[in-house]
Amino acid sequence: MNMITKQHPELYPIVRAHYLASAVCFVLIGVLFFFASADFAGHYFQPKLLAITHLAALGWVTMVIFGAAYQLVPVILETGLSGYRLPWLSFVAFLSGLVLLVCSFWRFEPGLCMQGGALLLLTGMLGFTTVIFLTGKRLKNKKENIHQEMINTSCIWLLATGVLGVLLVFNLRYAFLPQDHLQFLRLHAHMGMGGWFLLLVIGVSSKLVPMFLVSRKQNLWLLDWVYYLLNGGLLAFVIDTYLEGINNRTYLIALLPTAAFIIYFIYLIQCYRSRMKRRLDLPMMYTMLSFILLLAALLIQPLIINAHVQNTAQGIALTKLYGLLVLMGWLSLLILGQAFKTLPFLVWLKIYGPGTGKEPTPLPSDLYSQKLLVIQGIAFTGFILSMITMALSGLAAPARIASGCLLLTALCYLLNLTRVLTHKKTTGHA
Amino acid sequence: MHSFDITDPDTYIEMEAWERLRSIIDPELHVNIIDLGLVYTIRANSTVRMLVVVMTLSSPSCPVGEAILQGVANCLEARFVDYKTDVQLTWEPAWGFDNITEEGKKQLWG
Repeated sequence: MNMITKQHPELYPIVRAHYLASAVCFVLIGVLFFFASADFAGHYFQPKLLAITHLAALGWVTMVIFGAAYQLVPVILETGLSGYRLPWLSFVAFLSGLVLLVCSFWRFEPGLCMQGGALLLLTGMLGFTTVIFLTGKRLKNKKENIHQEMINTSCIWLLATGVLGVLLVFNLRYAFLPQDHLQFLRLHAHMGMGGWFLLLVIGVSSKLVPMFLVSRKQNLWLLDWVYYLLNGGLLAFVIDTYLEGINNRTYLIALLPTAAFIIYFIYLIQCYRSRMKRRLDLPMMYTMLSFILLLAALLIQPLIINAHVQNTAQGIALTKLYGLLVLMGWLSLLILGQAFKTLPFLVWLKIYGPGTGKEPTPLPSDLYSQKLLVIQGIAFTGFILSMITMALSGLAAPARIASGCLLLTALCYLLNLTRVLTHKKTTGHA
Repeated sequence: MHSFDITDPDTYIEMEAWERLRSIIDPELHVNIIDLGLVYTIRANSTVRMLVVVMTLSSPSCPVGEAILQGVANCLEARFVDYKTDVQLTWEPAWGFDNITEEGKKQLWG
């Protein structure tokens, strides 16, 4: 019999821990968002917003990406995970680092706690990257594909973001960096959002979306363009902004990642239009809609560059809106959808896999509550709308509505996730 | 399409096995594995009490591949209790969209 990639029994607890920790962080963001709603009216570089941003980028998004990557990278690369101990070590280092960093940002104490937290986070990232690289080395056909290139490169960007983050943390105490702290913060944020999040999400989703939609047409050569334009644009941005700051050239540089995303959007549309599965389920609908939020964020980019070049006050509000749309809009909606596409499979395989064919079993989609998923979607829409109003008006009232909607979204998500993870064996369709 | 030989008693076993396997559903696509075109051949041998299924998966990394193969074995062993079932996985020919039957396409588009 030919071999297939089997699910390793040690995989499930690793993935479960990452998903749960991430969901708890999401609920915490909702709570902290409420206490910091007045701060959203000011500058983005302030203690509470730094704490929330890092809790979102690292605790909510990166944590779930780590968990999902441990589950999906073996599927995408068609090989087993390189090991199961290092992911645990990485998880412990990352989580403890996150707690230290977020707490010290919130109280703004740039001392040992913050430095130790940043170093622990970097250790966790290093552990994750090692697992992914070693898994890639186990490839059966040894021929790298574009998905693997994107995943590997995104890990390099993650490490670069982490290293710069550590330097920024130490810079708060010792001020040794040669340029303005905010200048480096901008580079840190873009390396993380474009190099780590966007590249990884494109690398993984370009494989999963056509698989879930059963798409006949997959123009993989488009992804080569996406890869080079995105990385080229990011490198150019990092070098140029480091040397000259935001300037007129930044408009041209911003065109590269925008073009990369438009090409990827075309790839997605082709997958969607050539699909054999007509009806999109809610998780897939959320996934597809999330990319519209990213498109909206990219459309704001020229306005932000203009505000910086002209040195107008609008730049701060637009930068906040841009960050919120990427982090709390695009990435959050993507997770809110994809979590219910991937995790139920893992649970279903564990509970029903060995007994399939003996008796009727529920389907993976029966493991989560559709109602909760609908409420989650409505609450998230309320959050996005009030968040946009808040960012543009600078008023505190929409921020409070946004925090309420976000908390409701997070609670629905956590409840539904717990429902999937605590599912008990039943027979027949639920 | 599998052949039907009215003079061969094993054919009836094979035909029933084909029908039985319609109860194995791909958990993501919600379409049975026969209409997805995953099963290539089923051979019954009543002399040695053996059922051999040659089938494929949509990809070697199919996350539910192991469960589908197990499901095929479980399903046939439950019905043909005095037969031994051997589920053989092959990648040649590789599975493609053209393997999906008209009924399968209808269910996907449904």
